[in-house]
Amino acid sequence: MSEVRIAAEPRTEFGKGAARRARRAGKVPAVLYGHGTEPRHIHLPGHDLMLALKTPNVLLRVDGIEGKDNLALPKSVQRDPIKGFLEHVDLLVVKRGEKVAVEIPVNLTGEIAKGGVLNQELVQVEVLAEATHIPEGVEFDVDGLEVGAHVTAGDLKLPSGVELSTDAETILLTVAAERTEEEIEGEGAEAPTGEAADAEVAEAPAGEAE
Amino acid sequence: MLIPRKVKYRKQHHPSLKGRAKGGTTVNFGEYGIQALESAYVTNRQIESARIAMTRHIRRGGKVWINIFPDRPLTKKPAETRMGSGKGSPEWWVAPVKPGRVMFELSGVPEPIAKEAMRRAMHKLPMKCKFVKREVEA
Repeated sequence: MSEVRIAAEPRTEFGKGAARRARRAGKVPAVLYGHGTEPRHIHLPGHDLMLALKTPNVLLRVDGIEGKDNLALPKSVQRDPIKGFLEHVDLLVVKRGEKVAVEIPVNLTGEIAKGGVLNQELVQVEVLAEATHIPEGVEFDVDGLEVGAHVTAGDLKLPSGVELSTDAETILLTVAAERTEEEIEGEGAEAPTGEAADAEVAEAPAGEAE
Repeated sequence: MLIPRKVKYRKQHHPSLKGRAKGGTTVNFGEYGIQALESAYVTNRQIESARIAMTRHIRRGGKVWINIFPDRPLTKKPAETRMGSGKGSPEWWVAPVKPGRVMFELSGVPEPIAKEAMRRAMHKLPMKCKFVKREVEA
């Protein structure tokens, strides 16, 4: 995976007032830490960072701050739950050649056999990979999988130099039987109306007014 | 219909609807979801109705998750009753939902079908909602 250069500026003001002013100016407060170094508080350009974070586990080269060759991986990304804009980012310092534990997405290809429903239990797997060569994802072909089949994390074919750190026995996906017409009709039907007071009341402490 | 099996107190205070959801704001189980944009009390009937609207549209295949549970009772006094004489009797079971909360999730169907199924379900819910997709990031 190629590096993405991003220009940072040191952050001197702290607290919610300063953070909000920075966000209004199109910047994102961030922190850079790792390898026993003191945490460095920085501002990153909001739009560039948003574009960079579209790639999972993107390797960022942070320019404009002390130290050379500041390579970092996004460790935690805080977003606004409704609007989706970036609120804060934690960056973990990495070194070339170092192996890091990251979660990579599992992309499924192909179609399962007719009459089955695919249940993907795991959408990401944790792997150990070289910081500068993190795969963007791992593909798995589900073509022709029959009802009752299951795939574990150990069945994934990972690129060379990448080790699985999730338990190999963890279920990745299963294929269940499709629901029959009667089951669909039964589920779709309106359930009998329950009275609000149907729930049983646990023994109330003495003195509770009913 | 969803209802608690057992409750400690039959009548409770009204749950708060202030602020934003502090958890459950991302799609975790399925591929698509319905996210609340406003706060509201969602009753067990509304949840059931939304679920039925979704399952009827997707027909076969697909899996639905309901991420909210109506565990808070709301009470009501009978009509034409004078004030006083204590709190009314439990009438509804509701889930207090705050903006940002992903209430329903769906997987195993193509996106256009999921979108339409969720649009139908949103009409059964008491607040503005939006269709969201799962995002994989760092």
